[in-house]
Amino acid sequence: MSIIFQTKSGELPIDAQNDSETVLFDGLGSGLTLPYECATGTCGTCRARVMSGDVFDVWPDAPGAQRLKRDRGDILMCQTRARGNCVIRVPALVTQAEEGAPRRFIGRIDELSKLTSDVIQFDVVLNEKATFSAGQFMVINAPGVSGGRAYSMVNYEQQTGRLTFLIKRKPGGVFSDWLFKSAGKDAEISLFGPLGKAIFQPEADGDLICITGGSGIAGIMSILEHAIRAKHFPGYSGQLYFGARTLADTFYVDKLAALTEMSSGGLKVTLALSHEAAPSSTHPASELIRLDEGFVHEVAARVLSENSVGLGENAVGFVAGPPPMVDAAIRVLLGQGKLPPDRIRYDKFS
Amino acid sequence: MSWIKVCKTTDVPENSLKKIWVAGGIPVLIAHYNGGYRAMPPVCPHMEEPLEESGVIAGCVLTCTKHLWAWDLATLELQGETERPLKSYDVKVDGDDLMAFIEQELLYEFEDEDDMDDDDFFKS
Repeated sequence: MSIIFQTKSGELPIDAQNDSETVLFDGLGSGLTLPYECATGTCGTCRARVMSGDVFDVWPDAPGAQRLKRDRGDILMCQTRARGNCVIRVPALVTQAEEGAPRRFIGRIDELSKLTSDVIQFDVVLNEKATFSAGQFMVINAPGVSGGRAYSMVNYEQQTGRLTFLIKRKPGGVFSDWLFKSAGKDAEISLFGPLGKAIFQPEADGDLICITGGSGIAGIMSILEHAIRAKHFPGYSGQLYFGARTLADTFYVDKLAALTEMSSGGLKVTLALSHEAAPSSTHPASELIRLDEGFVHEVAARVLSENSVGLGENAVGFVAGPPPMVDAAIRVLLGQGKLPPDRIRYDKFS
Repeated sequence: MSWIKVCKTTDVPENSLKKIWVAGGIPVLIAHYNGGYRAMPPVCPHMEEPLEESGVIAGCVLTCTKHLWAWDLATLELQGETERPLKSYDVKVDGDDLMAFIEQELLYEFEDEDDMDDDDFFKS
């Protein structure tokens, strides 16, 4: 069957196999640069209009669908599948990407490890190798769990058959319950990606400042790994502020210490404890990791205010974490960090 | 209507935003930036976020933290990937008072901006 995208760049037809994929993933998979942010129904960025054809909505109550004009045929492309030929109008400029189109992978869960009482790291072995940019994510579907969830890759390799992810257990979280309770090694999952534009670009980016909390560290780990390999430090500076409730909730201390050591003094990592006094000025497990008290954005604001040397011209801020933390961190980067808004990158999941 | 007293200049500290209801029941957002004041409708022209809560002023730039749309408050120039201009009322300082020229409430058209409705969709 064919899907014709009517875009501001003209009509772009693609061939689609069947109704197993959403219209968004059909288009992205064909290399079209369709607009999207979360790809999981929350943000509303992939809004479009069905001009003709038979489609069905896989999640009518998606938070991102609240503002849609249903009576005129408006849809979220990430929650719509086509049953046959259809014409979809997309209010954006869309081009055909030369390479790097996301696609569907089958993966097998390998090496589940519990990092704290509520954070698990898991590896996925892919059926074929994937290429992605540091900071990107995959939308993962698990058996018996309806809808996809977006998870950022923790690792960074030019091309790899193994992806590392983090998941934080949430009360009532269907996917995390599945992973924590019933999934074991070798459980099969399906992945679509890579997706996301909050990526590190070593040629264009200068100083890096990252503010994150909880499992938001995932994509930041990939970015720091890429920065180390690209010898970005110490020519440019790097600052990571990583928030946790207590010392027992901190993780990746050994990995962050190793990255700091490899940065030749370019990278400075501060763990911020929000619900416990810091027992010392550095982490008990490594003197390379500083400890501070307060919410992570407050700690970052304090250091930035005290720092007489500001961020360089092409500095970039990366933010990842729960929505209230993201909002507070953006304020700090604009205010104390003096970063222009277009130098701040984050995934707009809400 | 014409020039209306909105508030005292000291009511809005520098680098802050304050929503004030003026006579006639019109909500006006006052922005005090480095170098002056702006008076505008209280929502972001992107997705109607309440700018009093979502907005941040740094230097001359107002940014809505929700999706990082931003404008230079001195020139009203659009920053980065911002797609729509800010509407604003003329302001002047009269002694301790901040005055705005308000003839009618400025509103953004969120319902009718939908260019998917246009017959000349492909020509834009």
